[in-house]
Amino acid sequence: MFSITSCAHPSCQKSALSYYDADKDSLLTHEYCYEHSPKAAEITNSLYEYIASHDKIVGMNASGISFANMDLSGKRFYGCKFLYCTFMNIHSEQLRVRMSMFDFSMFSDCNLLQSNMQFTSFAGSTFSHVLFTNSDLVHNNFCGITAYQSSFDDSDLYNSRFIRAVLNNTSLRNCNIKKTAFYEITQDNVSFKLSNTREALFSPEAAE
Amino acid sequence: MKIYFHLSLEGFSNCYVVTNPETKTALIIDPGKITKEILEQIEIDRYSLEAVLITHNHESHLRGLSTIRKIYKPQIFAADYEVAGNDTQVLKGDGIIKAAGLTVGHMSVPGHTPDSMVYKIGKVLFTGDALSASMLGTTNNAYAEKMLLSNVHNKILTQHDDTIIMPGHGPPSSVAAEKLFNLSIALRPVTGL
Repeated sequence: MFSITSCAHPSCQKSALSYYDADKDSLLTHEYCYEHSPKAAEITNSLYEYIASHDKIVGMNASGISFANMDLSGKRFYGCKFLYCTFMNIHSEQLRVRMSMFDFSMFSDCNLLQSNMQFTSFAGSTFSHVLFTNSDLVHNNFCGITAYQSSFDDSDLYNSRFIRAVLNNTSLRNCNIKKTAFYEITQDNVSFKLSNTREALFSPEAAE
Repeated sequence: MKIYFHLSLEGFSNCYVVTNPETKTALIIDPGKITKEILEQIEIDRYSLEAVLITHNHESHLRGLSTIRKIYKPQIFAADYEVAGNDTQVLKGDGIIKAAGLTVGHMSVPGHTPDSMVYKIGKVLFTGDALSASMLGTTNNAYAEKMLLSNVHNKILTQHDDTIIMPGHGPPSSVAAEKLFNLSIALRPVTGL
């Protein structure tokens, strides 16, 4: 979980990628990050295989990899790193994520319905046509996200943070937004209908 | 190294259990409350609790210390003499310690409290209340705020961008995200809207 191994490329301090050794049926640490790996395509395919063949994924570092046209229903991710990843056309129901990092990733045309994600960071990520409808998104970091045509409807966003987020045509209807921080957000056509906005935090001064 | 997160409902503080599977040893950071789940995590896998790291002397971050002392005999690391007992090593300034078979860096970042300490294990920073996702820790006066901001700039934001931040309250973050979105650090980003 959260590998200590850095990329072996001189002066690169990024974390080394994980890879799947099918013979040992275990997730191991590669020498390089995605950018410097001479076997990036091979590593990527091994991680696709690992995700497809396992429901519980612990401590995977797949930073920089693109994921497309996958069904992640019922998968459980714990302590994984997906920094700077691209997720396109991903479908899932009841996806479970704990203590994982998706910072600066791009999600496009994804249905992540009834997800249960806690203590996870999506800071700086972009969401385009992404549905989180009916999800538990407690204690998550959505700071600096840019969301277009996306839905958090019927979700529990308790104690999450959307500081400096850009929300465009995005709906947070019927959500629990108690203690959810929306400081300095930019919003255009955002709906909070039926959500408990009185218990949400829209300015740091009001919180004090 | 494995990190487990526990939310302490008293004070809504984050407690972390860090285990070293190679040596079967563990340490706890900010034991706000010792719960059944934390004890099970240590006991079921037969870990030896060797150290407790305190980020600062606030009740919500160390209330569980008395419970730990009744069950185990770990070494306590803190920067405040009030927390100290016979089992406590009082940390000063910046340095490196060995705990539970792990190399732990410690950095003094006064501002939120005079004894605020940030711990670094691998590529993870445990920032206590000095810094949380997009927010600087609260301070009592302008001088403390300036000092905290200076310490955060010099000691936390100089870490590699991929370094993960595990705060004392709220969700996790990364150094790159704090540089861009923290209300007290980053300038308002220009948006296309």
